[in-house]
Amino acid sequence: MLTMFRTTLLAMAGAALLAAGSAAARDLMIVGFGGPFQDNARTALFQGYSKATNQPVKDDVYNGEMAKVYSMVKSGDVTYDVIMVEAPELVRGCEDGIFEKMDWAVVKKNKFIEGGTSNCGAGAVLWGVTLFYDPAKVPNGPDTYAKLWDTKTYPGKRLFRNSPKTTLEIALLADGVAPADVYKVLATPAGQKRAFDKLDQIKPQLMWWKSGTQPVQLIASGDATYAVGFTGRIVRANEGGAKYPLLWKTLLYSVDYWAVVKGAPNAKEGFKMIEWITDTKPLLTLAETYAVSPANKDAAANPALSAKNPGMLSSHVNDGLFINTEFWVANGEDLEQKFNAWVAK
Amino acid sequence: MTTRSNLFAAALVAPLLVLVVASFIVPLLVTLETAVANPEVRDTLPRTAAALRAHQGEGLPGEDAYAAVVVELAQAQEGQSIGQLSRRLNFEQPGLRALLLKTARAKNDLAPPYKDALIALDARWGDPALWQLLRRNTSAITPLFLLRSLDATLASDGAIVAAPADESVFRALFARTFVISFWVTLLCVLIGYPVAYTLTTLPQRWANIAMGLVLVPFWTSILVRTTAWFILFQREGPVNALLQSLRLVDAPVTMIFTRFAVYVAMVHVLLPFVILPLYSVMKGIDPVYLRAAASLGAPGWKRFARVYLPMTMPGVAAGALMVFMLAVGFYITPALVGGPDDQMVSYFIAFFTNQTINWGMAAALACLLLAMTGVIVVVARLVVPGFASTALDPRR
Repeated sequence: MLTMFRTTLLAMAGAALLAAGSAAARDLMIVGFGGPFQDNARTALFQGYSKATNQPVKDDVYNGEMAKVYSMVKSGDVTYDVIMVEAPELVRGCEDGIFEKMDWAVVKKNKFIEGGTSNCGAGAVLWGVTLFYDPAKVPNGPDTYAKLWDTKTYPGKRLFRNSPKTTLEIALLADGVAPADVYKVLATPAGQKRAFDKLDQIKPQLMWWKSGTQPVQLIASGDATYAVGFTGRIVRANEGGAKYPLLWKTLLYSVDYWAVVKGAPNAKEGFKMIEWITDTKPLLTLAETYAVSPANKDAAANPALSAKNPGMLSSHVNDGLFINTEFWVANGEDLEQKFNAWVAK
Repeated sequence: MTTRSNLFAAALVAPLLVLVVASFIVPLLVTLETAVANPEVRDTLPRTAAALRAHQGEGLPGEDAYAAVVVELAQAQEGQSIGQLSRRLNFEQPGLRALLLKTARAKNDLAPPYKDALIALDARWGDPALWQLLRRNTSAITPLFLLRSLDATLASDGAIVAAPADESVFRALFARTFVISFWVTLLCVLIGYPVAYTLTTLPQRWANIAMGLVLVPFWTSILVRTTAWFILFQREGPVNALLQSLRLVDAPVTMIFTRFAVYVAMVHVLLPFVILPLYSVMKGIDPVYLRAAASLGAPGWKRFARVYLPMTMPGVAAGALMVFMLAVGFYITPALVGGPDDQMVSYFIAFFTNQTINWGMAAALACLLLAMTGVIVVVARLVVPGFASTALDPRR
């Protein structure tokens, strides 16, 4: 009865919105996480595509939380066409039917770096986190996670992401687990206990960040002495005059993807746009104004580009640990629960 | 005539009624339903569910169930509906998602008899407990979300057991939410009472200015005020600078991401909600009562405790109730200035809604929070003097 009522309500709302929306076919809507990437991509990629094809394009910002996209698809009122998503959300949304399967007849699959393609997504950019600190306050800081656990040599607060993702990997790396074995160990209850036990050793020195701007901000304000934060933010802080070291040996990285929302009215144009904005030439145009880490093989291998942008992640992936998407989709909820229980203890 | 005026009255009330139903009753019912709804197995594996319901006894089901599950899982993967099913069952028992995906992918390599083929693919398919779990979830409703929200879970035989200690968060979370809300309410009343009293005693011109000082923050966005506290409390922020210049501390004190910061910011945000009702009640108290008490020989403290305080209790109750209800649902302030162990229930409701898309858990936590808050308010009405009959009653 209730379900019926709810369905009717949703259908009514959907019909009303459809009636309002169908008056004019809307522009292609592309949605990202905002920030400097999107500000620069707007000219180089979005409007570049618009100019090349005469397809009007608008862009919008969301904060990566998927609830809105799920509601859109469920109610049939899809206002986003192309959307940037993180890897676990992409896999989950693909299985849930929230994204269209990628049309590999339109998007050329072979131009992406390894791990840059998924059933429903085409790689956009790489992102990663590394350890960093302010050398003005700590002349010789730790350069590995194992050393970060040495609170005698390196006193002060450590700032980690408020999430088991990356934190548990770091704990195991600090405990001497080889990067290749991290997820094998973390998949077992004993390995999970090992990670939490390792975190227990420095728990009084730990602080937690929630938004990506906080690591640089809290290192600058002195609230934290060492932090694990997004490399893009560190690079930008350095461009702004900071001198934070980029410790590539402590890199953990993943890929953000472009996907097309299920039932998007401009789905076809969306695939065409994804093909265009993941091509080498527009990405090189973007790189002129913004230090991008593209998931496109040729762009990533371009020597002029990597020379211009030493922070480009594709040049450092051999030093880093690839965050295992499949592992976090399968174990994320369980480990979040354990992490929350541990943090509150 | 009477009928017509009744109709007229009904027409006047109708918009309000529609608003209440559409914006309160319906969302509440939908939330209640989401907290117990269990559609995944029924919708995605209908034939398997039918075969399981027909199957009697504790042992493994027959070939029909095995054949149905192979076909339906493969269909679900093709139709992009396997995600909700696998996530739902993985929530029940970690590891099941991988099993379901593996089975769906292996469809073309499997041949009848499927019972042997599936057990050969993964021994878990030969475990009666797995089939019991599936069968249990052919029911249209499940208590699991509500149980998990109280740190309990269902054993494989369907019995209710306590969740393992390393996964128990929610009882402590509810306790923390109410403890924080209680202290915030108490602090607000203790600070707000003298402020409201002072406001009533000031000459009109000063009272207006002082009232402005209460109202301007009240009209400022919560986000702005909370962010301001974040900046004030930083290690190299103004508060630490002041403490150091007064030589109260030697080294800067860590204040952000602490419970202390949560209390300060929440009390600051919620203070007007207790000052304003108190002020209106105090303003309406005729000073003649206090003069009468004084002329009968009551000393100052007694005039306050026996005459003034009881008369202001309706204001205290109304303000405290409002602050408590708002505090229980606080999200932004603890999320910004608190650490991970200072978060309240709303944080987890948002987390399950947005991050893990587990709307069953979000709805279950929301329902329990509502129910517990309701119980606390009812009990408070019974035990706190001046609360029951007088709160929000303009005649007193």
